[in-house]
Amino acid sequence: MPTAPAAFLDPQLLARIGDLALLARTVVDGFMAGLHRSARKGLSIDFAEHRQYQPGDDLRRIDWRAYARTDRFYVKEYEADTNAGLLIALDVSGSMDFGTAPLTKYVYARMLGASLAWLSQRQGDRVGLALLRGGTAEVIPPSTRHLQLMLHTLGRTQAAGASALPAALDRLAQVAQRAGIVVVISDCYEDPTALARAVGSLRARRHDVIVFHVIDPGERDFPFTNATTFEDAESGDRLPLRPEALAERYRALHAAHCAELRSRILATGADFVPVVTDRPLDVALYAFLDRRLATGRVR
Amino acid sequence: MSFLLPAMLGALAALAIPILVHLRFREKDTPFRFPSLMFLERIPIRTAQRRRLMDWPLFLLRAAALALLVLAFARPYLPQRDTDAAVEGARAVVLLLDRSLSMSHREVWPAALDSARGIIDGTSDGDRIVLVAFDDAAEVVVPWTTDRSAVRAALDDLVPAARGTRFGSALRAARQLVADAGTTRLEVAVITDLQRTGVAGIAGLEMPAGLAIRPIDVSAASPANVAVSSVELRRSAGPPRATVAAQARLVARALPERRRVRATLTLNGRPAGTRDIDLPTEGELVVAFDAVAAPAGRITGMVTIDTDALPGDDTLHFALPRDDAVTVLLVTPTDAAANETLFFERALAIGEAPTIRVLPVSAARASAAQLADAGLVVLWDVAEPAALGPALQDWVRAGGGVVSVIGARQGARAAVSPVVPAQSGGMIERTAALPGTLGEVTLDHPLFAPFRDASAALSAVRFGRYPRLEVADGASVLARFDDGLPAVIESRLGLGRALVIGAPLDPRGGDFPLQPAYLPFLRRLALHASGHAGAPLWRPSGESWALRATLRDPVVAAPDGSLERPATDSAGSAIVLRKSGLYSAYQSRVTGEPLDVVAVNAPSNESDLTPVDPREMLLGIRELSADAGSIATAPSAQELEARQGTWRWLLALVALLVLGETLLSTRGWRATARRSAVIPSDRSVV
Repeated sequence: MPTAPAAFLDPQLLARIGDLALLARTVVDGFMAGLHRSARKGLSIDFAEHRQYQPGDDLRRIDWRAYARTDRFYVKEYEADTNAGLLIALDVSGSMDFGTAPLTKYVYARMLGASLAWLSQRQGDRVGLALLRGGTAEVIPPSTRHLQLMLHTLGRTQAAGASALPAALDRLAQVAQRAGIVVVISDCYEDPTALARAVGSLRARRHDVIVFHVIDPGERDFPFTNATTFEDAESGDRLPLRPEALAERYRALHAAHCAELRSRILATGADFVPVVTDRPLDVALYAFLDRRLATGRVR
Repeated sequence: MSFLLPAMLGALAALAIPILVHLRFREKDTPFRFPSLMFLERIPIRTAQRRRLMDWPLFLLRAAALALLVLAFARPYLPQRDTDAAVEGARAVVLLLDRSLSMSHREVWPAALDSARGIIDGTSDGDRIVLVAFDDAAEVVVPWTTDRSAVRAALDDLVPAARGTRFGSALRAARQLVADAGTTRLEVAVITDLQRTGVAGIAGLEMPAGLAIRPIDVSAASPANVAVSSVELRRSAGPPRATVAAQARLVARALPERRRVRATLTLNGRPAGTRDIDLPTEGELVVAFDAVAAPAGRITGMVTIDTDALPGDDTLHFALPRDDAVTVLLVTPTDAAANETLFFERALAIGEAPTIRVLPVSAARASAAQLADAGLVVLWDVAEPAALGPALQDWVRAGGGVVSVIGARQGARAAVSPVVPAQSGGMIERTAALPGTLGEVTLDHPLFAPFRDASAALSAVRFGRYPRLEVADGASVLARFDDGLPAVIESRLGLGRALVIGAPLDPRGGDFPLQPAYLPFLRRLALHASGHAGAPLWRPSGESWALRATLRDPVVAAPDGSLERPATDSAGSAIVLRKSGLYSAYQSRVTGEPLDVVAVNAPSNESDLTPVDPREMLLGIRELSADAGSIATAPSAQELEARQGTWRWLLALVALLVLGETLLSTRGWRATARRSAVIPSDRSVV
């Protein structure tokens, strides 16, 4: 597997880039530079719609028949121009605002989402965004022109509030009627069974689903030693603890949770990709491209 | 150990703060935000372990520092350490001996002396004793001493005085002496006849806590007593001759049976009458002596009854002033019309006690020598005679009075002088149809005291013509006419008074002489302006006698013949009347007739020998708190500082503990116990 230059994918370096569009382009360009240019874009000749001729459009694409009937210039657009619809479903609950690595989980997830959107745009896909918080989904529908709106929305959104990811995915399944690729980016602090059921409902609507499980090294390794009160980032519940006495059992529970998530989500036919925030983004991008190719979504 | 600010100990409750911090809030000070507790909540946790104190040494250090800080602010001090030693040591006795008049009872004084000697003899070598004689005031006869013989000798010299009784003054003196005693083994012995009348004023008196006050009752077996309580004298000018009549009031108390006594009146040293009276067992009786020819000049005398067990109240002295008549020097103008002052003179001549004697003199013949016998000078429509000169002002300043009656002759008077505090701008002529009246009168002023309930008498007076007076600076208007012009003006000059009368006092200017208000007004005017005040026949002992200001370099002869020269200052001179009898005041030397005489008697309540229960007497005494009323030696500033300086040591200890806490908490495993770093939540790419 080709690898991308690490300098363009290192989270610590990417965190210094303030502009999300620039960040996404940097990631994708850096990532793509390590790949052989190949026809990874889908082709299609399915007619999609007419649109009015704009200066600069290729004259070969003018529909002369339409001109003969209407005495106006129209350009024909095909499905081949919008290969697939990519919907980034980003968990913006309070639990994402945590990080012991150079980045918080939310910042990492945002970079990942932006990079995937940019990559998809380069592939000619339509891109959209769904912000999942508290059982609701704030959706920007997939479109070839929504990239900047999506990046802007990502840039101003903060992670806060409670999470109800299964309900939010159910809601998203109702809204996103048109089949496409749904990328779920979340820390998955949910019951694996309920989450798998929600992913299954998306699959049932012929969506290709990739679940990126964002993990902070701290919540995986639980390295805390000093007695203190732990506060739930979403519910505010507090629990006084001596963490060093609980670390072993915590790590076991966390690993079991991750394993169960993997097994149950994979069982639905979706992809499950754990990403750790101290790791470069290319792992996630490869996983995405593999899934993109595997889908063979060329209509 | 005690505390100056014991309320500060309430701050020890703050010790709960570190405990609460350890047990409850320790984990809450900065909660650690974690994405989800879903795994942690599944792990069983022993909460008891979480609530256990984890760092006992640190906690104890902090609690100890806080407790010591509170103790330091409570200002601990060490009480006097030599208490036990003092109890074991020498005794101090305050011996209060009543020497009021009632103690001169035949049975009482010897018993009092015997009791005092008993107390003195009861002291041991090294015991200290102070002798205080008291009546209505306390006197330290022998200050703190261990010399018992000196106290005995002083005791032999004491005699009862003609004074009242006030236990309060004696106990206050004892309180002060106790404070100065310098020991805690104290005793106050009060040798007294426990006269009930002496208890007044003792209620609320504060004495040191734990001080033993031991009343020693030496009262007579029977309170039976007869006394001359008062005398009244009435002088009559005659005719056919001047006489004086006397009445004496006798009081009998607790007599076992009716008693026949003889009362004798003595005037100027000669017997003036005797009366035999049968006294009831209880009550008062007035004895009227026959009027006798009034001796010339001042009358001094006494009323005496047969002596009984308490001879001090069997005689009552009195002194009647030489002549209480007020002499008015009436200075008339040389061109005065016949009978111009007739109404004025006749009106003043009416009345007694005191009589007012008018001495008319023409302005041309007036002299300063005439002022000597005068109490009042009336300038009848005439300016100050040149012959009087500055002597008149000096005379007024010394207490004399001047009344200027402004009429037509002085109607255009422009000059203002200290004795005539007004000027006149001509005469006002009122018509018969609209005569002048008195409009605004200061009825509160003593001059108009007779008219406070009869102001209509003044309103009825009609005036036809009167001067247009203008008030000099410093003078005040006592009455105005209905048109607002001043009618009566007054000014103080030294001890005397100067008045200006604009209201016509003769029939030519109005009908005032014909009105009922004329006579009381003139009489009051004369008495007020002359400063006449009725002198009492006698004064109770203990009072202060203010000598007349006219006396220069006064010397006073006491009843026992001793002489006293009172100090003289701007307020005059005065002496305290200590003995019963006649006090005579002379100028410079005791020679010739005294210029003033005052009779002094013991307070009449000294004749009431009814005793009070000792417990009742002490009932009103309050004990001071242990701190405020400590009978221990008043500590010096250094001792106080030494006793209260504990707080400094406590603060130093607190500083050491805080230092130790700092070292302990920043060394070893405590210094390395830190949380893992967490990224701030505001760290963002955008």
